[in-house]
Amino acid sequence: MAKVLMKGNEAIGEAAIRAGCIHFFGYPITPQSEVPEYLAKRLPEVGGVFVQAESEVAASNMIYGAAGVGMRVLTTSSSPGISLMAEGVSYLAGAELPVVIVNIMRGGPGLGGILPSQGDYLQATKGMAHGDFDLIVLAPSSVQEAVDLTIRAFQLAEKYRNPVMVVGDGMIGQMMEPVDFPEVEVGPPLAADDWALTGCEGRSPRDVNSLFLDANDLHNHNVKLKDKFAVITENEQEWELYSCEGEYDVLVTSFGMMARICKTAIDVLAEEGIKVGLFRPITIKPYPYDACREAAQKAKRLLCVEMNMGQMIQDVQLATRGAKEIDFFGKAGGVIPSVEDVIQSVRETLAKTGK
Amino acid sequence: MKKIFAYTDGLTRLPTHYCPGCTHGVIHRVVGEVIDELGIRGTTVGVAPVGCAVLAYKYFNCDMFEASHGRAPAVATGAKRCRPEMSVFTYQGDGDLASIGMAEIVHAANRGEKFTVIFVNNAIYGMTGGQMAPTTMPNQRSTTTPFGRDVNLAGYPIRVAEMLSTLTTPAYVSRVSSHTAEQTVRAKEVIKKAFQYQIAGTCFTFVEVLSTCPTNWGLSPRESNKWLEKEMLPYYPLGDIKRPEDFEGGQHAGN
Amino acid sequence: MTQSNAAIYELSTPLTMVVGSYGSGKTEISVNLAVATRMRGCRVSVADLDIVNPYFRCREAQVLMREHGVRVVIPPGAQQFADLPIVVPEIKGMLEPQEGVFSIFDVGGDEVGARLLSSFSEPLKGRPYRLLQVINSRRPFTSTLEGCIRMKEGLEESSRLKVGGFIVNSHLITDTTIEVVLEGFELAQKLSEETGVPIEFVTAMGELAQAPELAALPAPILPLRRVMLPPWLKDEPKDDSSDEKSNRMPAGRVKPLFVP
Repeated sequence: MAKVLMKGNEAIGEAAIRAGCIHFFGYPITPQSEVPEYLAKRLPEVGGVFVQAESEVAASNMIYGAAGVGMRVLTTSSSPGISLMAEGVSYLAGAELPVVIVNIMRGGPGLGGILPSQGDYLQATKGMAHGDFDLIVLAPSSVQEAVDLTIRAFQLAEKYRNPVMVVGDGMIGQMMEPVDFPEVEVGPPLAADDWALTGCEGRSPRDVNSLFLDANDLHNHNVKLKDKFAVITENEQEWELYSCEGEYDVLVTSFGMMARICKTAIDVLAEEGIKVGLFRPITIKPYPYDACREAAQKAKRLLCVEMNMGQMIQDVQLATRGAKEIDFFGKAGGVIPSVEDVIQSVRETLAKTGK
Repeated sequence: MKKIFAYTDGLTRLPTHYCPGCTHGVIHRVVGEVIDELGIRGTTVGVAPVGCAVLAYKYFNCDMFEASHGRAPAVATGAKRCRPEMSVFTYQGDGDLASIGMAEIVHAANRGEKFTVIFVNNAIYGMTGGQMAPTTMPNQRSTTTPFGRDVNLAGYPIRVAEMLSTLTTPAYVSRVSSHTAEQTVRAKEVIKKAFQYQIAGTCFTFVEVLSTCPTNWGLSPRESNKWLEKEMLPYYPLGDIKRPEDFEGGQHAGN
Repeated sequence: MTQSNAAIYELSTPLTMVVGSYGSGKTEISVNLAVATRMRGCRVSVADLDIVNPYFRCREAQVLMREHGVRVVIPPGAQQFADLPIVVPEIKGMLEPQEGVFSIFDVGGDEVGARLLSSFSEPLKGRPYRLLQVINSRRPFTSTLEGCIRMKEGLEESSRLKVGGFIVNSHLITDTTIEVVLEGFELAQKLSEETGVPIEFVTAMGELAQAPELAALPAPILPLRRVMLPPWLKDEPKDDSSDEKSNRMPAGRVKPLFVP
């Protein structure tokens, strides 16, 4: 198929359709509104369902209903809207429903602003909602990767019966890049699975539920979810190493679009003969701790660069187990660190290594 | 020997947890009978609420969701939009539907979602232990209105059926009661009609069923039925409030 | 540097409004057109009328445009970063510019963005204006003749104005080839035949503007320099071989989304 020029938000919508998802429930919020706008046009062409919900709370429960009857379903929002979806996400995780949720992050806290941010890292990876559960969280750094990871998100959601979140900052959602849509082998309909509420004709009734009256049953359910995530952690970590062959004194850690700015900074420094490595997690949950630790081994010092006030740095600290000094550089609120900003902070980190 | 009463296939054989005199059981029974009699048990999915009927997913003998508090109409929207060929119903109490879930029910009704809502109004929060509901009567005592509901501070009880009837979208909205055998028979007819409208794809269907809560009202079952009749019926009149037939060419007859 | 023989497009109508689908390239065109017009000695005002899209609007190129002497009309101060539809009063004056001054409206995407123009349809009656629809054959919804016609009808319905010309802006940003440009021209030609609306000009980014294929096209060319750069792209290297330095935009990157 010929390349097309798409906004990240549109590309995410189209990628969902290519992954076999033709059901969308969501609520408008800047800077992700192009997803519902695109799908409102596209879904009728493919016989799909588009509903503009009355709120993000409702949207997160509509996808519970849609997934529960065995349909691939998508919702998208941006930071304040994602907070409102917390309730639904906890129930979805508890009932083990495969759904994909996209967060095109904007600056916070509160109403914050509409410009790009990575301020929801901890929310997505550590504390999305009440109870013991884990989301799978994917962080694309280009429009093409947003397409690929949206498709991957559906595959992972179905493979593990687990909600999957794709997090991009507002820039990923808004910017335009040429993209290719890969041929996707869409799996069998979820309705064929042994949990979907398809009507009990010829079988016993089923329920989609997260309520356990007996404490032991609920404990066992939690253990099951934990075990499931252990398998996910074993099998599904993805990361990228950039400029990590050979020797380097400084390793930069960064994710999403911020990592792309870091790459340019690393290229500029390389022209000066300064070698710097980059570790970019693609699954920010499960976090590739071992891969991060390995990449960090060669470095004297680390620099974590984020579009927030320092959130992923906690995972870098966990990965390196205190063996390395880690500096942080970040900007929040919609200010995007420039290539020059990153180069400057790399130089400062480098200076601390004695070079 | 002639069989004059039997289990309905619309319900499981599990004994319910409802208190003596509570009419949730009999409302379950009529909904189950309707599902059975219409032959839709194998193609129906129900949505249980948070509230006293939280375990309804164990009692209805069809595929069931357990929803979060108040969101049953959103869950039902997701299910029905994706599987319009299935019959979908929610079973919700007054705290669930009229308080925390008010936005969801209003918007589902306004979008004209083609499912059936069974709204059980017993004028109190049962599950959490007898607190004020949006439908609690003026001066009615509850654990959070120990001196009676003060309408100056808590407002008047919400007539949900009437409120939903103000929406232009065609709908079937009716109020029935469960405090006598006669009224319960009538309730079953209305619930059946609601499901029939749904099966025909006609409109959003909403049946408010007045119910009792002897435990939290602090009354015997018999006194409870009397209290419902005396206190609730004058405020919550029975009968069809809105019918799809009344809707012609974008206008309501009589509006 | 070899020069193509293609005719370069020059603004001649006092008011030009650039419309089209989301991401069709309206802002790049508006900014380039404004600077090019200013370069030939004319006074130009550009209004950012994109009230539907929060990012990648020509207000992000305001410094660049002002450095070139282009007047930029946008909401004041931090209001320009608000998620609010703000139309400033200066717009009204731009509808009827003084003799020798050109107004350019950079309008928001799709019929949604063009709706804002509807409020000007009354004062614009009988006045000279050009409503130009940008065509990018590599965008969803406008990759076919039917899609472009649907877009045109939608734009006209919501703006209550008539499209007076098409801008061929077929591109894939960095992946653009001359084939992509020509494919867009072919689509626009069919569109022009179908609708009776002429092709106004063809854009070509960077070195593509020199392609001999363009000289053969029966339409003028607007050479573009990319001004809306994503934050990971470095400054373009200075092209010192050019002897027309004064006619070049500054090579400095337009830093998008910078909140002062």
